[in-house]
Amino acid sequence: MMNFIKYGTLLLFLFCNTKILIGQNAEELLQTMDELIAAPKDKEASIKMIMTNSSGKQKIREAKMLQKGMYKRMYRYTKPEDKVGMATLSLPGGIMWLYMPSYKNPIKITLFSKSQAFTGTDFSHEDMSGIPYSERYSPKLLNSDLDDTYLLELLPKIKRANYSKILIYIDKTYKYPIKMKLYNKSKRHSKDATYAFEKKQNYWYAKEVFMTTIKSQHSTRIILTDVKFDQNLNDDEFTVEKLKQ
Amino acid sequence: MKAKNIAKNIVSLKWVTIVIVLALSIFLGSQLKDLKVNADILQSLPNDDTHAKLLKSIAENFGGNNMGVVILETDNIYQTKVLEQVQAITDSLVEMKGISSVSSLTNIIQIKGGDDGIEVGTLVDEYELPKDVNDLENLKKDVMSNEMYRGNIVSEDGTSTLIIFTLENNADVSLVAANVIDITKKIETTEKLYYTGSPMLVSSISNLMRKDLTTLLPIAFILIALILYLSFRSITGVVLPLLTAAISIIWSLGIMSLLEYKMSMISNNIPIILLAIGSSYAIHVINRINQQEVIGDKKNISMALSMVLVPVLLASITTGIGFISFIFGAYLEMIVEFGMFTTLGTAIACFLSLFFVPATIEIIGSYKSNKNYKTEKKSFVLNKVLTHIISVLFKHSKKIVITWVIVLCISIVGIFSIERKVDIQEYFKKDNPTRQAEAIMVDNFGGTKPVFVLFKGNVKSPEVLKKMIETSEYMEKSPDIYTSMSVATLVSEINFAISGNPEIPDDIEKIEQLWFLIDGNETLNRLVNEELTEGIIISKFKSPDNDSKKIFAEYMNDFVSNNSTPSCQIEITGMPFVDITMDRSLIRSQLGSIVIALIFMILIVGIFLRSWVFGILASVPIVASIIILFGIMGLTGISLNIATVLVASVALGIGIDYSIHIISQFKQGMKLNGKVEWAIENAINISGKAIIINVISVTTGFLVLLFSEMVPLQYFGLLIGISMLSSGLGALTFLPAILILLDKRNNKNQFNQ
Repeated sequence: MMNFIKYGTLLLFLFCNTKILIGQNAEELLQTMDELIAAPKDKEASIKMIMTNSSGKQKIREAKMLQKGMYKRMYRYTKPEDKVGMATLSLPGGIMWLYMPSYKNPIKITLFSKSQAFTGTDFSHEDMSGIPYSERYSPKLLNSDLDDTYLLELLPKIKRANYSKILIYIDKTYKYPIKMKLYNKSKRHSKDATYAFEKKQNYWYAKEVFMTTIKSQHSTRIILTDVKFDQNLNDDEFTVEKLKQ
Repeated sequence: MKAKNIAKNIVSLKWVTIVIVLALSIFLGSQLKDLKVNADILQSLPNDDTHAKLLKSIAENFGGNNMGVVILETDNIYQTKVLEQVQAITDSLVEMKGISSVSSLTNIIQIKGGDDGIEVGTLVDEYELPKDVNDLENLKKDVMSNEMYRGNIVSEDGTSTLIIFTLENNADVSLVAANVIDITKKIETTEKLYYTGSPMLVSSISNLMRKDLTTLLPIAFILIALILYLSFRSITGVVLPLLTAAISIIWSLGIMSLLEYKMSMISNNIPIILLAIGSSYAIHVINRINQQEVIGDKKNISMALSMVLVPVLLASITTGIGFISFIFGAYLEMIVEFGMFTTLGTAIACFLSLFFVPATIEIIGSYKSNKNYKTEKKSFVLNKVLTHIISVLFKHSKKIVITWVIVLCISIVGIFSIERKVDIQEYFKKDNPTRQAEAIMVDNFGGTKPVFVLFKGNVKSPEVLKKMIETSEYMEKSPDIYTSMSVATLVSEINFAISGNPEIPDDIEKIEQLWFLIDGNETLNRLVNEELTEGIIISKFKSPDNDSKKIFAEYMNDFVSNNSTPSCQIEITGMPFVDITMDRSLIRSQLGSIVIALIFMILIVGIFLRSWVFGILASVPIVASIIILFGIMGLTGISLNIATVLVASVALGIGIDYSIHIISQFKQGMKLNGKVEWAIENAINISGKAIIINVISVTTGFLVLLFSEMVPLQYFGLLIGISMLSSGLGALTFLPAILILLDKRNNKNQFNQ
């Protein structure tokens, strides 16, 4: 009887600790991924967004992107012609400024619903926000069905999370995301995202992200070119006044 | 070839007939499983009508015909529990296969201007629905202050709200509609739910049609079987007419399916009509064979057939003409298709009655002398009725004609009060939830009849957008237009939120930049085309009244013709415009089909019987019964609609058969004996029984439609029933009375001469 209690206690201890360890591993893994994505102090790139509808018709937008840290980001549109000169500035706290040259003054846009699509793309404002996943979701390690990947199941830890669940496949060696399956509020698999990461100047970055909305078969491909890191971008670059230039 | 020889050949080919009928029935019966139902009126609109064509094209290009609505009705929408239910329904519809977008109180976008910029979000916080009284009151204020919500998403009185969904282009409409009902019912709302909008309406009508077909047709079969048994008192006398009808139905619907036509809410009547016609021809053939045996000519089926061949053929040709008239005179394609397949069914029924029925009787050999005796004995009542009719006819022929003339005069007065209605609401019973949903839409959301104004030009140009606003404002001055929606409304609202100016900017660059905020928004697909060369104003028309539609059409047509320019071309269409044409066509096609049918009937009867006078005389009872029919419609307030418009021609086609049988027997009698009185008595004795059986069975068959789920079909059944009774009575009383009076007048003239 004593032996039973001893072994039982040991087993229970091991079981609980394994769970804690797995939990810790998952947290660490997600944090590592977040850190990898947010590693550069700043980022400068040309960005191309290709939106394709279910019948194959495409719309293309091009912009120059500047980013500092995780929360400051500016897009200045260069294509199509009717969008030239328009710019958006995202600042911490979900604040977004929009500059339309014809309106002279920048307009502050408060986004109350981050689940809404980012101007005609398949990305929601939350997807584009850059807020680390570890701040919004609790991870759990699952057995991956893809070679050389970890599979994390993310469940929301904040009420206003856009997705009810995200499955992320993370590269085992470099810890960047390869693929995501995103589940909407009704717990249905609603979107798929695939990432193509590349290393430049010691940083891994997603040179291409492809997001598909499963139901509408609408997709958006974001391609980054001319990427430069750590250009010591000044905070002044991310001011409302700068939007006009 | 003489009728006798044809009849002989028909009987001798009995096995060939049976094998062909069997093989075709198996083949065409197997096609029935593929027969599809389509209750969409829009698809039935003709392509040569400008308004209908434009309406169809807008529905296709802008998805206007793919919009369904769930109405949630309660005492007060502004309650957290109600909002929770709206959200639950919205979320489940968003997920549903076949639905591309959903718009409701809990997910509709809100763009608000403020001192500090603009706020973009949803009207209701999707993560935290308003709970306390202040939040709910603020929501109410937001709704009431914005036309986009007030009267569009929430009723002004706050008792009902809409969850509007758009179907994907290739969605299975019936499946989505069924799933919408299923899933919303599973949510177990405490509030009342109604469903409307084209997909729900089409699906609802399709279900009613299926229900009608599966319940009413068997009932009609059973009732007619009962009548036939009481009339003939033999299994063959019951089975053969019904079998003829059933095979006619199988063949017609099988061919319909084979040719990929769909069952419409009009062709839904085909089985019942063919049941009546198919059994009717067989009844005449069986009756004649029966009588041939009674007079001692036993087993000579070909002799009986030779006598009934011409009347049955003639009856089927005239019935066919009644139906063919729809092919040339009708506005809706579904009526044309109805005409095609009922004509085909009539031809099939005629073929089966003349080939299959005698062949089967010959093979079964069931008509034995003992049964004949029994039959005649049991038909004692009918014979007594006929004897009574004959005696009254000869005693009171003048009074009979006068009575008919009086009835006709009263009916003519009634004709002037006939109303015309083309409203879809008329299709449903008053307690039907779909009709109640329509009523809620009319009372609280400005109706359901779509009105579209199409603008061709650069949709982003200030000229086009300003013209859209001007048109909207002009349109909304009409008492029947509650609100309207266009991309110009969106642009002006965003401009207002940003600059405080509700006008459309004069600068095209400004508009192009504002577009950035609406680009990719699902609503945009319903308002502009992908190339941005066409845009529409969507609105709803409230009144079901025809005169209001005409006033509105005139009001708008003036505006359109005065404001359309080469760089901004304007066109207008919508259900009110189609309804006007449909209404006009009701009268035109009604008159057209009756006149065409009548002329051809007189011609054909005249040619077959080699006498124009007989042709005209045969048409007298049926013309009288049609006048009575319209008189009753006018006097009782039964309106002329897309179903009842069929009645006159159907009644004409079927009803003239009775006169044909009487007049052709009369002619044969005159040939045999040369005396009018004898010929009339002979004609009534020979054909009278079949006519009475026929009138009772056909009327019963059609009266079953009184239990239809669709109101116009109830009236259709009732009116055809009335027409059958009056045309049967006309053939047995009015026509012989005229013949007697004509004979008396001839005798008098001869005497005077």
